[in-house]
Amino acid sequence: MTNHVFQHGNVGGIRIHVLPTKTFKTYAISLYAGVPLAEETVTPTALIPFVLRRGTASYPETTQFRERLEELYGAGFGFDVYKRGDYQIIQFRMDTINDSFVQSKESLLSQSFAFLGEVITQPVLEGDSFRASYVGTERETVRKKLEAIVNDKIRYAAERCIEEMCREEPYRLHPLGQRADLDAITPESLHRSYRSWLEGAILDLYVVGDTTPEEVEKLVERHFGLGSRAVSVPYQSRFSPRTVTDVRTVEERMDVGQGKLNMGLRTSITYKDDAYAHALMYNGILGGYPHSKLFVNVREKESLAYYASSRYDGHKGIATIQSGIEIQNYGKAVDIIRKQLDEMKKGNISDLELNQTKAMIRNLLSEIQDSAFEMIAFDFNRQLSGKDRTAEELLSQVEASGAEEVKRAAATVQLDTIYFLTGQKEE
Amino acid sequence: MEQIHYERLQETLYHEVLDNGLKVYVLPKPGFTKTYATFATKYGSVDNHFRVAGGEETTVPDGIAHFLEHKMFEEPEGDIFATFASNGASANAFTSFEQTVYLFSATEKIETNIETLIDFVQRPYFTDQNVEKEKGIIGQEINMYADNPDWRVYFGLIAAMYQKNPVRIDIAGTVESISPITKETLYTCYNAFYHPSNMLLFIVGGVDPEAVFELVRNNQGRKAYEPQGEIERIFEREPEEVGVKRLENKLAVSMPKCLFGFKEKEAGLSGKAAVRRDLTTKLMLDLLLGSSTALYQKLYDEELISDSFGHEYNSSPQYAFSAIGGDTKDPDLLLKRIREEIDAILQTGFEERDFIRARNKKIGGHLRMLNSPESIAHEFTRYQFRGGDFFGVLPEYESITLDEVNERLREHIDWDQLAVSVVVNP
Repeated sequence: MTNHVFQHGNVGGIRIHVLPTKTFKTYAISLYAGVPLAEETVTPTALIPFVLRRGTASYPETTQFRERLEELYGAGFGFDVYKRGDYQIIQFRMDTINDSFVQSKESLLSQSFAFLGEVITQPVLEGDSFRASYVGTERETVRKKLEAIVNDKIRYAAERCIEEMCREEPYRLHPLGQRADLDAITPESLHRSYRSWLEGAILDLYVVGDTTPEEVEKLVERHFGLGSRAVSVPYQSRFSPRTVTDVRTVEERMDVGQGKLNMGLRTSITYKDDAYAHALMYNGILGGYPHSKLFVNVREKESLAYYASSRYDGHKGIATIQSGIEIQNYGKAVDIIRKQLDEMKKGNISDLELNQTKAMIRNLLSEIQDSAFEMIAFDFNRQLSGKDRTAEELLSQVEASGAEEVKRAAATVQLDTIYFLTGQKEE
Repeated sequence: MEQIHYERLQETLYHEVLDNGLKVYVLPKPGFTKTYATFATKYGSVDNHFRVAGGEETTVPDGIAHFLEHKMFEEPEGDIFATFASNGASANAFTSFEQTVYLFSATEKIETNIETLIDFVQRPYFTDQNVEKEKGIIGQEINMYADNPDWRVYFGLIAAMYQKNPVRIDIAGTVESISPITKETLYTCYNAFYHPSNMLLFIVGGVDPEAVFELVRNNQGRKAYEPQGEIERIFEREPEEVGVKRLENKLAVSMPKCLFGFKEKEAGLSGKAAVRRDLTTKLMLDLLLGSSTALYQKLYDEELISDSFGHEYNSSPQYAFSAIGGDTKDPDLLLKRIREEIDAILQTGFEERDFIRARNKKIGGHLRMLNSPESIAHEFTRYQFRGGDFFGVLPEYESITLDEVNERLREHIDWDQLAVSVVVNP
C-alpha cells in the first residue's frame, strides 16, 4: 500500500524525517515541538508561537515578516497548538511551491528553511526579552481565542465534556492554556519560558517533497543552529488506565436553541497496543461513519439529530460521542445511545458492519499517502507513541479482527461522563 | 474523448459530452492512490422559480434543493451510504447557492463506486413517509446553523444586501418553509434539474481515462433520457441599492461579530469576463485587507481585529458582493477606522511592488490548491457552470495589471453600496 518511507536522521538535537517524492507541487515542512502538558507551563508555552509569528531578527516588523512569505510565492506558514496524550504539541507548518513551477533565482526550499529556522531560533528581541508590544497584543489574541470557544457550541460542548471528565488530570487543560494565567506573563518571563522550551522540547522536523535527507540535514545545520542542544528524547507514554465507578452527568445552561449531547468514555487501549486496531474497529462500528450504529439509529431511524457520531483518541484512551438534539429529546437520545453501547458490549455486530468498517478504515489508511501533511501526521504518531507500526501492519490487524475482537475492545470501554448543553429555561 | 494538456501545470484533462448531454471530465493524477469524483447539477438554493421549455412556470418552497440532496441518499434497499461503505468509499454531498454536488473518495473498487455515484443520483426514490422523516433531521440541521454565529452573521449580510434575489434565503430554508415539501414537489425539481444535460461528472485521481469514459458511456447508454429543452431560471429584478444598511442579530458570543461588504451594482457577468472580474477583485481585496498590509496590522495592533479577520468575494450572473470582517470588540469603531484607511488608499491606489508580491502570492496559492483533488473537482465544476475555465486561472492571474486592480478598487469600494451585519450578545 505505502511505497513511501520516511528516512530518519538526527541533526543538532532535532530528529529529521525526510520523504523524497515528486508527487506534489510543493514542499511540505513540519516542525513538531512537544512538552509535557502541565498547569504551570501550558499558558506561556501556548503563547510562544503567537509571539514568534510577529517578527524575527531579519524581519522585525510583522508586515515585513508576512511580505517575506508572499515573496516566496505565498508560502503557506502556520502553526497549531494541541494536546496529544499528556503532551502539549506546537506544530509549525510551511508549504512552499516546488521551484519547477515558478521562476525563482534561489531554491524556495532553502529560502523556506532560512525563514522557518529564524522564526524558531531568532525572534526579534528587546535586550533580553521579547518585544513588549508583541507580547501584549498576542496575550490578548490568546485570551480572545480562549473566550471565543463558546461561540461554536459544538466545539464548546466537546471541550467542556473532556474538561469535566478529566478534571483530575492534566488533560483537562486547554492546549491554549488558562485565561487567568495570561496576565502574569511579561515579555521577560515569556522569553525565559521560550529559552527553556527551545532547550527542552522534543523536536521532530519533517520534509516531504523533491529533496534528499542530505540536503535537509545541511539546511537544518545551517538555519537552525541548535548544535549544542541535547538529542531529543523519545516521547514517554504516561498513560495509566482509570476505572470508572459512577457515570457522572453534567448539565450546563446557555442561550441556545439546540441541545448538545456529549459523552466521554474511557478505554484501556491506546495507540501503542496491539489491540489498537480493535479499538479503531469499535469506534468505526459505533459511530465513526454514516453506516455506523449511532448515525443509523439516532439520525436515520429516529430523526432525532442531524449529526450523531463518535471519535476515538488513541493517544489518551478516550472515546467521545457527540450529537445535536431537540432539548426535550434528551432522555430519549441518551437511552438510544446507551443502547448502542450495550449492543457493542454484547457483541451484537453483523458481518456487514464489520466489512463496511474495514473497508472504510482501509480507505482512510490508503489515502494518507496522497497528502504530504497526512503522511507526516501518521509518522509523527509513531514518534509520539513509540510504536513502530506501519500503515500496512495496522491495516492487516484491522482486516484480521472479527466480532469477538471488537467485543473484547468493547469490554474495556466505560461510559464516564454525560454532558448536556441545554437552553436557559425548563422546557 | 478529447484531451487538453496544460504544460505549465503539468496536467492533462480528458473530456467528452455524452449523447444525453452529460459532461464528463477526467484528470488523471499519476502517483495518487485516491480517486475523488463529483457528480454535480447546476441547481442550487437560488433556483426556486423556473420553467423548463414546454412546461409551466413553477415556484417551489425555500430550501428544497438541499432537501432533495438529503433525500437522494435513500434508495428502496436502504441508505446508499451503506453501499458506499461496503465498497470502501467515503461519500457525501453539499448544496450551495448555484449547485448541488454528490461525491465520493475511494482507493479501491473505483469503477463500482463511480457507477454507484451515477446510479443513485439518477434514481430518485421519494415516499410520503421518508419525506416526512427527513423534516426532523433537516430541522435539527437548521437549528444547528441557527446557533452558529459565523453562519448567522454571513447570512445576515446577504439578507441586508439583497432585497429580491433568492441568494438572501438560507440554503436549507427554515423549519416553516420546508414543512409543505412533498414527494411531488421533490419530483418536480428533480425532473427539471437532474437531466444529464444539466449535470457534470468530474473524476480526479489514479485512473485510466479511457476506461472511465467507457464505463460512463455504457452506464448512460442503458438509461433512456428524452432530450430536455432549456431551463429558464426566473429571477425578480434586484434593485441596485442594498436593502438595509445595517442588520443586527443576537446570539451568545464572546465578542461581537461584524461582517460588511459592497454589493456590486452590476452583476450579470458570465464566462471569461466573470472570471477576470472575480480574480481581479480577490487580488484587490488582498492588497487592501490581507494580513501583510499596513491597514491590517494597524487594526490588529489597535485590537479592533483578530486572526478571524478575512475577506471573500462571491459572484454569480445574478449577484456579486464582497464580505469582509470577523470578531471585533467594537463594530462601529472598526467600520469608522476601515473607512478612514480605505479612503486614504483610494486617493493613491496601490504600489507596483505590493501588487507584484500579492499577485505572486495568489499564483502560489493557486498552485498549492492543485495538490488537492477535492479543491480541483469543486473549483473546476464551479467555473464550468459559470462558463469559465479553472485551468485558465494561472495565465489569467499573470496577465492582470496594476491599473486594472486600481480601477477595480475605485469601482468596487462604493460606500453607498455598503451593508453591515453584526451579531451581538443578547
